[in-house]
Amino acid sequence: MFVPAEDFVLFALGVHGIVIAATLVLARRPSACGAVAFLGAAVAVVFTTATATAVLTSSAPVGGILFTHAASGVVLDYLVTPLSAWFLVIVGVVSIPVAVYSIGYLPHTVPPSRIAAVGATFNVLLATVELVLVANNVIGFLFAWELMTLATAALVATEHEAGVSRRAAYLYLVMSHVGTGALVAGFFTLSSFARSLSFADIFTGAVVSDPLRHILFVLFLGGFGVKAGIVPFHVWLPEAHPAAPSSISALMSAVLIKAGVYGLFRVCAFGLGTPHMNWGLLCMGLGALSAILGVLYALAQRDVKRLLAYSTIENSGIILLGLGAGMVMIANGQNSFAVVAVAASLYHALNHAAFKGLLFLGAGGVVMATGTRRIEEFGGLVRRMPFSAFLFVIGALAISSIPPFNGFASEWLTLQALLLGFESVPGLVRVNFPVAGALLALTSALAAACFVKAFGITFLALPRSRAAVEAHEIPNLMLLPQAFLASVCLALGLVPGLVLSVAGAVTASLPGLSSSASVALGGLGLRTGPDIAATVIPSALGLTVLAAVAIAVAVVGVFRLGRIVRRVPTWGCGGALTPVTEYTGTAFSKPLLMIFRAVYRPTREVEALAEVSPYFPQEVRYRVEIEATFERYLYRPLTRAVIEVAERMKVLQAGSLHAYLGYVLVLGLILLIWLGGR
Amino acid sequence: MEQALVIAAALLQGLGMLAVAPLLRGLIKKMKAALQTRQGPPLLQVYYDLAKLLRKEPVRSETASWVYVAGPRLYFAAGLAATTLVPVLVAAAPLETAGGVIGLVGILALGRFALATAALDTGSPFGGMGGSREMTIAALAEPALMLGLFTAALASGSLNLGAVVRHSLELGNSFHPSDVFALAGLFVVLIAETGRIPVDNPATHLELTMIHEAMVLEYAGPDLALVEWASAVKELLYITLLIDLFIPVGIASAIAPGPLAVAAGAWAAKVFVFAVVITLVESTNAKLRLFRVPELVAVALGLGFLALAIRFL
Repeated sequence: MFVPAEDFVLFALGVHGIVIAATLVLARRPSACGAVAFLGAAVAVVFTTATATAVLTSSAPVGGILFTHAASGVVLDYLVTPLSAWFLVIVGVVSIPVAVYSIGYLPHTVPPSRIAAVGATFNVLLATVELVLVANNVIGFLFAWELMTLATAALVATEHEAGVSRRAAYLYLVMSHVGTGALVAGFFTLSSFARSLSFADIFTGAVVSDPLRHILFVLFLGGFGVKAGIVPFHVWLPEAHPAAPSSISALMSAVLIKAGVYGLFRVCAFGLGTPHMNWGLLCMGLGALSAILGVLYALAQRDVKRLLAYSTIENSGIILLGLGAGMVMIANGQNSFAVVAVAASLYHALNHAAFKGLLFLGAGGVVMATGTRRIEEFGGLVRRMPFSAFLFVIGALAISSIPPFNGFASEWLTLQALLLGFESVPGLVRVNFPVAGALLALTSALAAACFVKAFGITFLALPRSRAAVEAHEIPNLMLLPQAFLASVCLALGLVPGLVLSVAGAVTASLPGLSSSASVALGGLGLRTGPDIAATVIPSALGLTVLAAVAIAVAVVGVFRLGRIVRRVPTWGCGGALTPVTEYTGTAFSKPLLMIFRAVYRPTREVEALAEVSPYFPQEVRYRVEIEATFERYLYRPLTRAVIEVAERMKVLQAGSLHAYLGYVLVLGLILLIWLGGR
Repeated sequence: MEQALVIAAALLQGLGMLAVAPLLRGLIKKMKAALQTRQGPPLLQVYYDLAKLLRKEPVRSETASWVYVAGPRLYFAAGLAATTLVPVLVAAAPLETAGGVIGLVGILALGRFALATAALDTGSPFGGMGGSREMTIAALAEPALMLGLFTAALASGSLNLGAVVRHSLELGNSFHPSDVFALAGLFVVLIAETGRIPVDNPATHLELTMIHEAMVLEYAGPDLALVEWASAVKELLYITLLIDLFIPVGIASAIAPGPLAVAAGAWAAKVFVFAVVITLVESTNAKLRLFRVPELVAVALGLGFLALAIRFL
């Protein structure tokens, strides 16, 4: 091999490059170029994941030079730190199954002429995400970041005949570029103070002093927060994620969001010196807000992919909540406690990638089989798509933080971190921790309600539309990646100790986190202590439940004595049971919609059409819309103001050459006076 | 050897709770009847009902799938498995390291998820209505529950119930004024989670007011028996949880016949007191409208905050 055994980064990027070229060459043969593009992408990712695994096991960063330009002196180098490696593993866990799924999926949803473009862009996207994660200097990072944004926007606009897709891509571009603008400002300020473009020099924490440091923190939080889908920068996410083809949605929700999260870790929490306590509190606040609003909006959705997209906002919030708790603890010098919080956050980032990838791929299968994204038009799919249903329910259990699946383990750890936070922080500030704990509990219970709805209305009872009646199980090529992700969800839940000992390599590499603290209890369990002693072994919980199921089956079996089950029609309340009388998804989430109406501000319209008497309506129409609060009260005034300013500035753009020459003259004069004055 | 002992203890405690749980329901029914100057069903009626249901022919909907079959089994299993995580007679839970109180909450969430999902499987509108309401109320009760558990954990330095109990035994008189508020808050959670008046009426089959009953309306025979039995276990479990957190006095600190007998007596007496309180609450209150339940839960949340504030601020 022409590269060092443990460093495959350049090799993987090369593979991406070759695959892109091959894909474009084969563009006229859609089936071949699809297979080449996605298998090639998977191969490249296998190599980066191998590098990442090596870094995580040895705890020794590997790096090298990407590109040198002698004339300008620009050297783009990369460094796979344990933190980068953790996120590279997240990329690997999701994008390999997504790539395999795409081979089967894309020919069904994308016109053949576009497969080459999607395949090539997919590779560009993965390569740039990998670059973002390993870049070790400002120019390389921003270049990769921008390319990643453009590639994503292109993929969102895959079905660009639809106005919705174009709008989503546009919104995504605008929001992302505002975010990138904040990042550029932040990075270049740091660079100019450090007189270096290298991350090694600008993230020492001693580069800028306090008032400016706060401004930089806010800039970076906003910049990365846009990508991470943090409220209030989230508005693009529920538009963009559903618009893309489902396998791309999976990649966006599971992986691209994590690029923003990586930035929050790398810069906001650990790049600007010891975090100030208010930074941590701000992160906790935004995290809790994202979590609760994300899940509430997810509950109210009737489009399965939008539901999943809002749930991504929720999980980003949980990740940020853990990170923020860690920052507050570091600010208070409680470094061994902070390890728990940061590890919980990292763990949840990995877990979210696994279950959200699974759920998006599952939703993609359902959308492909039925041709619609509306939950109210599904139903009864458990008989028609039994494997999809089984795999979806695993994802639903994992995301509802139910043991022994992975979501439970990271939620457990986050709650422990919040408990420890109360212990470790003095004064009234610590009240934030139990409040956050209560909100987290509410969030996960609402997530369970949301996914009972998503699974139940989609897969159970009678089909609600012609499309659902005629649906068929998706091909094995699309089921296998889901089966892989489902087993990852289970495995990550069963061996939290192992996961956390690997995450220990990451936390040990971060400044301000003591390396001695460990939360692993063997490979199978977690523990915290001694201040708040708690242990959990999810596999034991799982086995206990299994044993108890066996007892339940035995109890029923002993009494039944070989009698066979009689099948009868469901009681239809005196009439025939039809799909019309079934409970709908809208009805399912109605009580919560009513209870949280202060958040949703719903507008309801009930219309009864009666011919004879109002007491015997022929037809009742019900419409409910929830208000897009952030769009209406934050973004609409903002865009209106921007447009207004632009209108005013139109005066300057008179269209007359003389005027423009006049401007140049005035500018030249001002510059002369200013420079002359120095 | 030690593992075998742990498994035996878990099995014994689980089956023991399974055996006595229906008695609690019977007791509450009997006491309620007494308050209404009725004779009421025999104390053991719940057992007779379970036996009758288990012997019946299993009848299932044509529309239902495996999810419908899995629902009651998982619900039952979750209730049973959760009993191994609480100390009942001995100041240690059989499977204490497997998961403290968060593990318990997680396992009960599994049962609820399974049953609420299964409720949607028959296509009957009642199932959906019940499942929706059950998940709603569970979600609302969750923050108050977590806050109560937070306070208890901070006071005793552990989230493992065995350690919580041992901590208060060590202190001797562990009573703290904040306990009153925390207990009251968690008692509201108990009412909400076990479907008692004023949140839900276990005796009603009036379509607009049912919650839990609507969710399991389609179940019959052995499947229904599992659900009923598990609900009884869950109720006993929540009561035992509150006993462990607030009034563990009398619990045996070693496995010996004498202390165990005392512990059994003390536990039974405490459960009886809870049963009396639940009976009184059920008999003197009317069921709340569904949309008034958030106010009740908000009270629980407020009590939880008050307890936390009194204790630590």
